[in-house]
Amino acid sequence: MRATVLQKHLCGLEGVVMSLDVSAGLPAPVAEWVDPFELMADPYPSYKRLRELGPVVFAPSMDRYLITRYDAVRDVLNDASLFSSHSFDEGPLVQALGGRSMVSKDDPDHATERGAINPTMRPRSMKEVWSPKFTQAVETWIDHMLEIGPEEADLNRDFAGPVASQNLIDLLGFPPDTDVNDMRRWSTDLVAGIGNVVDDQDIWRRVARTTAEVDAVLDDLLRRLKHKPDHSIISHLQQVGLPEDLVRANVRLTISGGMNEPQHMVTNMVWSLSQYPDQRAAARAGDVTWGAVFEETVRWLSPIQADGRRSTQEVNLHGSLIPENSDLFILLASANRDEAVYSDGDSFDINRNAPSHFGFGGGVHLCAGKYAARTAIGETAIPKLYERLPGLAIDESRKSSWDGFVFRGLVTCPVTW
Amino acid sequence: MSSITYIGVDGSSETIEATPGASVMRAAISNGVRGIIGECGGQAMCATCHVYVETSLDILPGIGEDEEEMLECTAAPRKASSRLSCQLRTDDFESITVQLPDRQV
Repeated sequence: MRATVLQKHLCGLEGVVMSLDVSAGLPAPVAEWVDPFELMADPYPSYKRLRELGPVVFAPSMDRYLITRYDAVRDVLNDASLFSSHSFDEGPLVQALGGRSMVSKDDPDHATERGAINPTMRPRSMKEVWSPKFTQAVETWIDHMLEIGPEEADLNRDFAGPVASQNLIDLLGFPPDTDVNDMRRWSTDLVAGIGNVVDDQDIWRRVARTTAEVDAVLDDLLRRLKHKPDHSIISHLQQVGLPEDLVRANVRLTISGGMNEPQHMVTNMVWSLSQYPDQRAAARAGDVTWGAVFEETVRWLSPIQADGRRSTQEVNLHGSLIPENSDLFILLASANRDEAVYSDGDSFDINRNAPSHFGFGGGVHLCAGKYAARTAIGETAIPKLYERLPGLAIDESRKSSWDGFVFRGLVTCPVTW
Repeated sequence: MSSITYIGVDGSSETIEATPGASVMRAAISNGVRGIIGECGGQAMCATCHVYVETSLDILPGIGEDEEEMLECTAAPRKASSRLSCQLRTDDFESITVQLPDRQV
């Protein structure tokens, strides 16, 4: 038997204790019906069913404990000692990135790497250093959309993808002449690698090719930045003195993690405002800030639906027992619809005055790109789109399609104006 | 052990004996004190652990560059007594009293 210090965490709304007092816990309910393919098609009905079952539900199909409700999600995110990001096995996340990047570490190691990039990712840096670049990319690709025209344009293919790609090139510090299509391909390949639980060899081949191409760029870039550091993410990673293999792993992490999300936020915002034209009018009139519209969209349609953790001890979480060394999925997008916190949470409401959402995660791994996304998409891309394409709306005569569980968004997003 | 007194918006107060090395933010979260979110886990990246310090500010370490920037982003108005509670550690004081703001987001 191991002596442990009993830690009591009072959990706000429900008033239930999270503790190491496992004698008081019950096995978590088991949901045999959870179907990953259904989650990829539309996860929200499953989330609702799961929340009704309990704050902790075991899903055999995924071999994971799913954390479903707001309070439990908050408590897991806030306790990195009980719920670790350091996986023991070198699964696809570590394999695809060629090393253990900051997302697979706990503090203090995580803090060293994450602390390196925080300064360039804060609001003032976004405003003073990056905003002009974001504006430039947006104007360029709106020009492109205008050329495609309102009968053929796809917001995802023709604007969101290239803009997200260009912003990533700029933030990382890649050469300005890097092709947006290359950055997009690198990101797609690395994301495929991260998700490659079935060990598809064709995906590993794509990862290998992308890694070689990105490494070639870094060979030159790292050499140059040593003598001429700048504001870029890569420069910051290098300046803090990380070994080169860790710099490269974190660059690959940023490429994989910094593309889909801002891309999906563009289409998510235009989608949401099309479904709710009164709110679109209010946003365009300035009745509500674009920042508030952005945050409500992140809540309602979260580009990253879930985040993984590993339990380091047996834990009684809100009455359910989670065994030691279990894999968890924190269902961020489910917490963001929790009826106990958000009244009519399945509706989009830019006037909602409600507790903060978990779309960017929480705790020390809170998304480093949070202010980049808010500035680049919420406060630059979307207002500019409506300014230059005033009638911008989803084109109902063509097909929009959603896809994805952990990474979710509009694959096709036909628009007109 | 250092003691931290949190005064809620409604005037109610709660005193915690904090573990050595903990921050005022972390002690609030660990002890279920409402009114501090600490979204970023203490990296001065969110400004949701904002407090108004009621006891002496002089004994506390000065406001660094990162904290200064984020104090400009608080939801509740910034006052002379404003600090991010993730930057205040028990090593810095024997006892402290903080007033919680009416909103963190």
